[in-house]
Amino acid sequence: MTEFAPAVDPARALEELSAVVDGVVDGNAADACDVFLTGRVGQYTRFAGGRIHQPQDITEVQVMVRAIVNGHAARAACGGLAGLPAAARTAARSAAAIAASVGTPGRVRVATPDLASDLAPGKYSPRQLGGEHPQPVPAEALLVDDATAAFDTAERVDLVRAAHAAAAARGGSVAGMVGRALTQLVVATSTGIRRATLATEAQGGFTFEVGDGTAHVIDLGRAVGRLGLRDAIDGAAAQAAASVGRVEAEPGEYTVVLGPEATAELVSFLPAFGFSGELAAAGVGVCARRGGERAASALVSVADDALADVGLPIGFDIEGVTKRRVALLDKGIVGSPVTDLSTAAALDVRSSGHAHIAREEAPATRAANLVMAAGGDTEASLIAGVRRGVYLQRFWYTRLVDRAATTITGVTRDACFEIVDGALGRPLAGMRFTQPVLELLSTVDGVGDRRGTVPVMNVWNGATTAPAIRAHGFRLGAAPASRNGTSA
Amino acid sequence: MTHLDVASHTGVHGWGDLADDPTAAALLDQALAEVSGDAEFADARLIECEELRLYHSMGADPDERREHNAGIGVRVLVDGAWGFAARPLADVGDPARAARQAVGVARAGVGLGEPVRLPGRAGVSGRYETRVAVDPFEVPGAQRHALLSGLLDSMTGPAAVRDAQAGVNAKRQHRHYADTEGSRQHQHLMETGAMMMAVAADDHDVQRRTFPNSFHGNTGGAGWEFVLGLDMPGNAQRVGEEAVALLTAPVAPAGTADLVIGAQQVSLQIHESCGHALELDRILGDERNFAGTSFIGVADVGRLRYGSPAVNITSDPTVAGTRGTFAFDDEGTPARRTPLIAEGIVVGTLSSRDSAARAGLPVTGAARSDGWAYLPVCFSTHVHLEPGGGGCLDDLLDRLGDGYYLDDNRSWSIDNRRLNFQFGTEVAYEVRGGRRGRLYKNFSYGGVTPRFWQAVEAVAGPGEVRNFGYPCGKGEPKQWGFLSHGAAPILVRGQRIGVA
Repeated sequence: MTEFAPAVDPARALEELSAVVDGVVDGNAADACDVFLTGRVGQYTRFAGGRIHQPQDITEVQVMVRAIVNGHAARAACGGLAGLPAAARTAARSAAAIAASVGTPGRVRVATPDLASDLAPGKYSPRQLGGEHPQPVPAEALLVDDATAAFDTAERVDLVRAAHAAAAARGGSVAGMVGRALTQLVVATSTGIRRATLATEAQGGFTFEVGDGTAHVIDLGRAVGRLGLRDAIDGAAAQAAASVGRVEAEPGEYTVVLGPEATAELVSFLPAFGFSGELAAAGVGVCARRGGERAASALVSVADDALADVGLPIGFDIEGVTKRRVALLDKGIVGSPVTDLSTAAALDVRSSGHAHIAREEAPATRAANLVMAAGGDTEASLIAGVRRGVYLQRFWYTRLVDRAATTITGVTRDACFEIVDGALGRPLAGMRFTQPVLELLSTVDGVGDRRGTVPVMNVWNGATTAPAIRAHGFRLGAAPASRNGTSA
Repeated sequence: MTHLDVASHTGVHGWGDLADDPTAAALLDQALAEVSGDAEFADARLIECEELRLYHSMGADPDERREHNAGIGVRVLVDGAWGFAARPLADVGDPARAARQAVGVARAGVGLGEPVRLPGRAGVSGRYETRVAVDPFEVPGAQRHALLSGLLDSMTGPAAVRDAQAGVNAKRQHRHYADTEGSRQHQHLMETGAMMMAVAADDHDVQRRTFPNSFHGNTGGAGWEFVLGLDMPGNAQRVGEEAVALLTAPVAPAGTADLVIGAQQVSLQIHESCGHALELDRILGDERNFAGTSFIGVADVGRLRYGSPAVNITSDPTVAGTRGTFAFDDEGTPARRTPLIAEGIVVGTLSSRDSAARAGLPVTGAARSDGWAYLPVCFSTHVHLEPGGGGCLDDLLDRLGDGYYLDDNRSWSIDNRRLNFQFGTEVAYEVRGGRRGRLYKNFSYGGVTPRFWQAVEAVAGPGEVRNFGYPCGKGEPKQWGFLSHGAAPILVRGQRIGVA
């Protein structure tokens, strides 16, 4: 079995991070300091064309120190605990230089212990996720699932073989990725916060192809047993076979049933519409302009929820602040933005624990575990309620077009069907769509009882979970034209 | 400068620890020796990277960060199956650990599908260093802060500017490569860049302007001189004012129109509809589950009319100063100039050794990875549109006659075969009789890749070429690719506009 242990020993990490923050402040190198460690051991089995073409075991560690001098901050990061003292010196030196250069006091602060009020150092209680009666995950817990820890290379390859068999049985092929990961986050601050957590993660995604038909299935979460990957394989293979002979739909407005993956794609855009601390503080977007107003159907409730038993819950952020459940849409009513210490100060609210640093960007808040509440309908019953419409499984390459109007564009992909008299009809080719998201969510009249989770790109430990929905007036644009190339 | 002491069994702590070739060679040899009895082929990439980022944002305190990491990625081919493992360098035993892990994961996949047969080649060794006039890491912090503070002040003059950000970035890397065929390579790469963005809002609308590139700014394979050459201060006030002007500008019309598309937007068009479409691993289906496939097939190489005769697109990582410049790709293939589209015909792909062998096509040296932690996959290098005979931008506008001039990407979407696209730009100007007139907002155009490129009537000349550094994403788990596209403005007829 491949080794599957934390990238850095958690106890040692907490000890060394603590020593550094204390040392920086006690040595008067900085007024305040915080430091976080993110570690990830990820093991992935990626396959296509009948072979495993990208099997990967990747261990990554980053330790980042933020030193604050007269309210001005600088950060320095390294790839392990050994480099931590040097990083701390670099951060303190840079912060002092900035403070000297600016002259006037800045506003950067580290978190105070009251923001980490759920803190229970040394009292992590291992909790098993899944089972017949899953319990909500405590804000700070050791989110380790034994079955996920046992989801090793051999188990994953066996799953790949099963997928190949399911595809071959229908004369098709399959590509995808299955993996497991062990994520850790450790935070120490000069104000006395000490936090550490460890969490398993399992993911599976498959694209089946039969003739011109394709179908996709994806899910991820803390516990592999909750994903039901083996069961999903056969259903997706059958769906690909059913989508052979795709036709182009007429452009127009349709009643739609969106599968969980497609719904999750829409939900993932909510922060960009104004549910982020930065936009709210700038007076831009939905929270700033429509707070407390109805923006979606009463059937639509979306929260960033670190307490959820789905997605990728984790108890606190890189500033050590306990993640609060933030209702973005509460029964359709506009709620609050996610914040970090900086944007919370600007908005004069308490940080919701959503500090984040993405590659290539300035630090900014990120919703990390968006969850849409499930409803009471099966996907079949949502479809049964449509006389004429379309079922859309997956969206692709969605991009913001108009922030004020909450309009996005993208294309449909994989198993999409027309709906005729309450049943799936002919399979549909991929089409472009351009759609105001909140306008569509305001028409939702049915929500599915089963949810799926997708990863959110460029967000550390980011996921969105959503059910199927039924909505009206979805604008499908022109279908992709056939290739117009001619041979030379 | 301190160097890693292999005998001390300690890890890499700070910049420069892997500058030394003998130190790196010892670590790489350790990894390759560990798999010598198991693998028919193996390569190892030992990389040290340091990145500096500084941002000034409206209403917030400056944020400066410096990130250092070092690690090793080992790829092996065992009984026809690939394996890969990567670890940070916490101690000198990590190269061997990574190598053993890679063999372990490869063995699990043996027997699944046709065995991989990698055509052998002679080892290639060498060193390369980015030409840098001014080391960005040596630029005084006060100078960086003063630049950004001034940009923010200039952008935020108009009251309707509600958010603004200016930033500079620099990255330096020691990239060491070794393989079982005898290759030993060391590339010391440097890149530097800058960005600024202004967001204006009123009761009804939100608009933005960016400079010099709408994708996290522009970054080149050069030193601080690259930032100075961008003339950021000379553009900051305009960026703020144009963001505000867009609020009251009319919405761009819908219909069919002739267009002159500015260099930045052309670079995005190249990226999405040419670069990605010609990645050979994508063409072969390796990315089917996530990034998608391509409308171009292996059999199309040498045959498919992709664009008009005015369209010539080339992969050339030997062009100095770009974010896609290197001497060796991340599986040791020497950089070379490779025509991809010649007079409108597809003539090449962006390939790796594995994909080229499977397709029976040449290796073009486009296997690239995000540092040490990820497998090399096919990414763009410096993929650029060759300048044409269209003269300068004003000459193109004259030739356009009536239509629109647009630039600076705002929104971009393309289907999973890289065929059906819809792009929006930050600005568009009406052009009448070759003269630029009214400003429009929310301009968009859409179409089908080969139809678009076949409608290109002219490409501006060499004097209008600009290079744009891009970040890009691909793979599962997703990894970043850092690359470049060069472009001059183009004149394209009969495009569908106002599609969003």
